[in-house]
Amino acid sequence: MTSPAAAPSVEPRVRRFGRLNLEVRQSIPRWQHALYVILSIVAGIAISAAILLVAGVNLGGMYEEFILLTFFDRLGLSSVLIESSPLILVGLSAAMAFRVNYWNIGIEGQFFWGAIGATFISIYDIGPPGLRLYIMFALACAGGFGWALVPAFLKVRLNVNEVISTLLFSYIAFQVVLNQVYGPWQDPHERFPHSIKFDPVEQLPKIGWEKVHLGLFVGVALVAVMWWLVERSRFGAYARLVGSNARMALAAGVPVALIVFLSAGLSGALSGAAGFVMAAGQEFRLTATMAAGYAFSGIVIAFLARNHPLGVLVVAILIGGLYTAGQSIKGFYGVPEALVQLLQAVIVLCVAASQFFVSYRLRLARE
Amino acid sequence: MLTFIVDWLAYTPIFATPLLLATLGLILNERAGVLNLGAEGLFLCGALAAVVAYLATGGSPWLGMAAALAAGAAVSVLFAFLVVTLRADQVVTGITIAFFGSGLTALLGGAWMNKAVGGFTAVKLGFLSELPVVGKIVFAQDPMVYLTIPIVYLVWRFLFRTMPGLRLRAVGENPQAADAAGVSVDFYRSLAVIAGGALCGAAGGYVALAGAKIWFEDMTQGRGWIAIVLVIFARWMPGRAAFGALLFGSIEALIPRIFAAGIPVPQYFLQMTPFVATLIVLIYAALYSRARGAAPGALGLPYVREDRR
Repeated sequence: MTSPAAAPSVEPRVRRFGRLNLEVRQSIPRWQHALYVILSIVAGIAISAAILLVAGVNLGGMYEEFILLTFFDRLGLSSVLIESSPLILVGLSAAMAFRVNYWNIGIEGQFFWGAIGATFISIYDIGPPGLRLYIMFALACAGGFGWALVPAFLKVRLNVNEVISTLLFSYIAFQVVLNQVYGPWQDPHERFPHSIKFDPVEQLPKIGWEKVHLGLFVGVALVAVMWWLVERSRFGAYARLVGSNARMALAAGVPVALIVFLSAGLSGALSGAAGFVMAAGQEFRLTATMAAGYAFSGIVIAFLARNHPLGVLVVAILIGGLYTAGQSIKGFYGVPEALVQLLQAVIVLCVAASQFFVSYRLRLARE
Repeated sequence: MLTFIVDWLAYTPIFATPLLLATLGLILNERAGVLNLGAEGLFLCGALAAVVAYLATGGSPWLGMAAALAAGAAVSVLFAFLVVTLRADQVVTGITIAFFGSGLTALLGGAWMNKAVGGFTAVKLGFLSELPVVGKIVFAQDPMVYLTIPIVYLVWRFLFRTMPGLRLRAVGENPQAADAAGVSVDFYRSLAVIAGGALCGAAGGYVALAGAKIWFEDMTQGRGWIAIVLVIFARWMPGRAAFGALLFGSIEALIPRIFAAGIPVPQYFLQMTPFVATLIVLIYAALYSRARGAAPGALGLPYVREDRR
């Protein structure tokens, strides 16, 4: 920082872009920040619409599929809520880890271990039927928790890059699932790679509106718990310090390694819970494809929700709408489901790009 | 036993070549200070482009490879714009590019799925290929395998024996100093990202044209992520990358050989081995700081002249 007296004689420190200078903003008004993010989402939606046009869906069809039949239709809305249930949980999972700058990309692996835990209880009929679902839920969370702890341990002890290690753990978990669904747990009556169907007592009860099941309440309840944890508890305060500046947090006496370790484990437990909701609420069995896409969706939801639990709830429901519309479009227009993943990626890239306008200011160069 | 080993080693280059091409590309990226986590997406784009070009042109593997290079470069232009020009977060953007590539190729690739692709065929180098043991392993590979050897040398020579290579490394090591010396940080980083991305695309093209000889969704099965770890294993050196790629290629080549030989090993546990080996490499690199110390100084950090940190 230069003193005011010396300012006129000092060249402004600027980055030249031809005739444009790039300046670092010291601060930005809230409304302006929000404006840039909203504009970037609008741009993302516009690009998505263009992709859909190329794929053969016209504008009227898009309005019908993404808005009318998804959010203003009984069947559509119930489907959105069903799709949202696991999405809320993977979104919370990613948000928990990202809050302490721990990049948990291995959500699918933890999701699978949740589903494996639930399926294990179901297959071996462990515990009284009345408590079966609770035991399944507990073991699912424990499975995700345990699977997430290994890369977390490697991170805090040895500083092993978690982006790649968590992902490698996902690939390994996937092979474990394949081993189970093609091997000892395969449904003997079918040739498909999935386990035997859960008994009715092992399925999440419906809440009485279309096919919406209790998984939605599990998601909403955990949003409330996570909100309390990050906003009201000592753990949340520590996690915020670690996320904003880990070295300063360490200097201030925060147990940084423990906070990162526990956040990563909690993230895994939430992914495991998502696996439980998927297994006990929708699939009623362990399948090889049940986790597909949930790692990226979790990342997208946490990123767009800025890691805030209430934001996760809102974004997860919107992404649930995207999933629902994606299935409908697949049926009517024959566009592959991969479209959903592509559109999520487009929107994230646009929002990531908008950070440029939030962090920097472009100015015409003065000669 | 000898036939088993010869078969195994003869299949190794087909698995090692794509890993090597991608690792070289990622070394170019990271030497310029850009962490490219989108390699898996670039692999897939390259693979689909190669298959489409191959089938559309009536069976030219070289046009397929050219299309793969172009596809990798095209997606990398987008990545370079985001992380170099707009200074977007490299981790978020890289991960998203990986899933972008997977989504895009699955959307576009429907019509090309599960079609047989002739691709590259082995070239027998005259009497050399008739030599016992060595002949089958070294002198009867497809042309891309032979072509990759000079590429390793060229990348090394570019990085360590030319002025632009020195500038590229300076930009990745200390962009402030490079900038002060009059080197355009944005130019060299963009160039490195696009060239490296093209090599990743080529790697994907090779997987489709020589390895799998078919296209299906997410066909590269994590090889892009393995290549990212191989860069650490190679300590950002092209020569060591060749060694690492051969090592990992041999692990991958072993799996189908063991199935073919009918050795009773649980299939899915066997298929974990490349990922477990990658994990071991990651842990090893973290344990020994010599490997970690080789990382370019400004890896993963966007550069803004005004921003003093």
